[in-house]
Amino acid sequence: MIEGLRQPDGGSIWACGYDTLKEPQRVKELIGVQLQATSIYDNIRVKEAIDLFGGYYKKSIPTGQILEEVSLTDKSTSRVSSLSGGQKQRLSVGLALVNDPEVLFLDEPTTGLDPQARHNIWSIVEKLRDRGKTIVMTTHYMEEAEHLCQRLAIIDHGKIIAMDTPENLINHAGLDTTIEFSTSPELNGVTSKIPGIKKINNGNAHRYEVKARNVSLILKDLTNLCYENNIELENISVRRATLEDVFLAMTGRKLRE
Amino acid sequence: MSMLISQTVLETKLFLRNRVTLFWTMIFPVFFMVLFGLIYGDSKWPGMDMRSVDYLLPGIIVMGVMVTGIMHTVMGFVSEREKGVYRRLALTPLKRQTIIGGQMLHNYSIIIIQTMLLIVIGVIAFNIKITGNLFLFWLVLSVGAVSFMSIGFALTGLAKTYRSAMPINQIAYFIMMFLGGVFFPNSILPKFLGYVASVLPSTHMNDALRMVIYNGAGIGDIWQSLLIMVGWILACFAFSIKFFRWE
Repeated sequence: MIEGLRQPDGGSIWACGYDTLKEPQRVKELIGVQLQATSIYDNIRVKEAIDLFGGYYKKSIPTGQILEEVSLTDKSTSRVSSLSGGQKQRLSVGLALVNDPEVLFLDEPTTGLDPQARHNIWSIVEKLRDRGKTIVMTTHYMEEAEHLCQRLAIIDHGKIIAMDTPENLINHAGLDTTIEFSTSPELNGVTSKIPGIKKINNGNAHRYEVKARNVSLILKDLTNLCYENNIELENISVRRATLEDVFLAMTGRKLRE
Repeated sequence: MSMLISQTVLETKLFLRNRVTLFWTMIFPVFFMVLFGLIYGDSKWPGMDMRSVDYLLPGIIVMGVMVTGIMHTVMGFVSEREKGVYRRLALTPLKRQTIIGGQMLHNYSIIIIQTMLLIVIGVIAFNIKITGNLFLFWLVLSVGAVSFMSIGFALTGLAKTYRSAMPINQIAYFIMMFLGGVFFPNSILPKFLGYVASVLPSTHMNDALRMVIYNGAGIGDIWQSLLIMVGWILACFAFSIKFFRWE
């Protein structure tokens, strides 16, 4: 609706100082949008596409600079149809940048990309972010949101149910920290002294998991217990709740499209 | 204005890179002209004094205009629409009229080149004598071109997907080709089909072109045909206001 693709039922939207419903043309000059699927003429070359889009705006960044920005310089004469998924997505981000937008909208920029291509996009986004560009990104990869966003909103059924920094969202969600460890030999008969302990692997390695909030107390009890019973403690990992845990706890459902 | 020109140039550039459309718009009509010209040549249709090949030239010109105006318009537009190109363009300040305008200008330039190609072949290879008023010829060609493009754009509203666009296209194209007097005069059609044919834009474009090329017709002789083609343009425009879709 901010981008002007859909008409709102009511209310008003202001972006970059303009009413998006009354002056959509002015808003379009000032924003850049990358859509989920790359949608550009197949037979066009990369450089031509950027030139073309640059021509649509009153003010635009030189094509060479855009190519550099999204690392497509050596692909500039390739046809769009011959690009890989990651390259297409980078072009799509590049096209969103041609007018040096005040606000950049990225719609699931890494969906369907392999890890390498994803990290490529991430570093482009980071570079832009660190230069102070306002970026509005939607994603359903929580690690991506945690990694890139300074402020994030969780939307469930069209409503914003939480909005804060990723750090605060995780800290305020009050979720348990997970402690995992192995022992040798097995913690036989003494497990009852640690509340909430669960055996997670019955193979040769005796691996356990404790979910709790009072991490220091659990660790103290655990180390004492092992010390007293002459049990060796191995491979301890302490993992705090991730954004994904927070998301699942808040929406109560699985991740959806 | 410069935006309109750059859209036109873009469409043309992409067109030249696509061998399939290049074949259908440029080679296919020429192929038909040469083929039928060689088969029928100097023979005459019953009840007509012109040679078959003379009769054929305006017909093939109309056929070419239909290939470009209907087929090329519909398939090009529907495939870009399906890919979401117009959705992406809607996010830029580019106006939608400019997109349509660019496509029409591009199609129009194909039609002009196509037509000149056919005339050159007709004159050189088949000794066709063109005597009519060139301005009127251009006028009929242009009104016809716009009317078939209007039909094309209207048909994009009917076709939901690229797959369904092809048969819709073909039906429109073949009806207008076979009932429109492209290959043989409408006088040999049964009464009912003759009635259908009498309202088709292809029939009127054919009639008007033949009268201008061979009979030295003036505007007074062809105004009714022009009016009917303009009527199609208006009807398609009205239809498109309701049914045209960008996504």
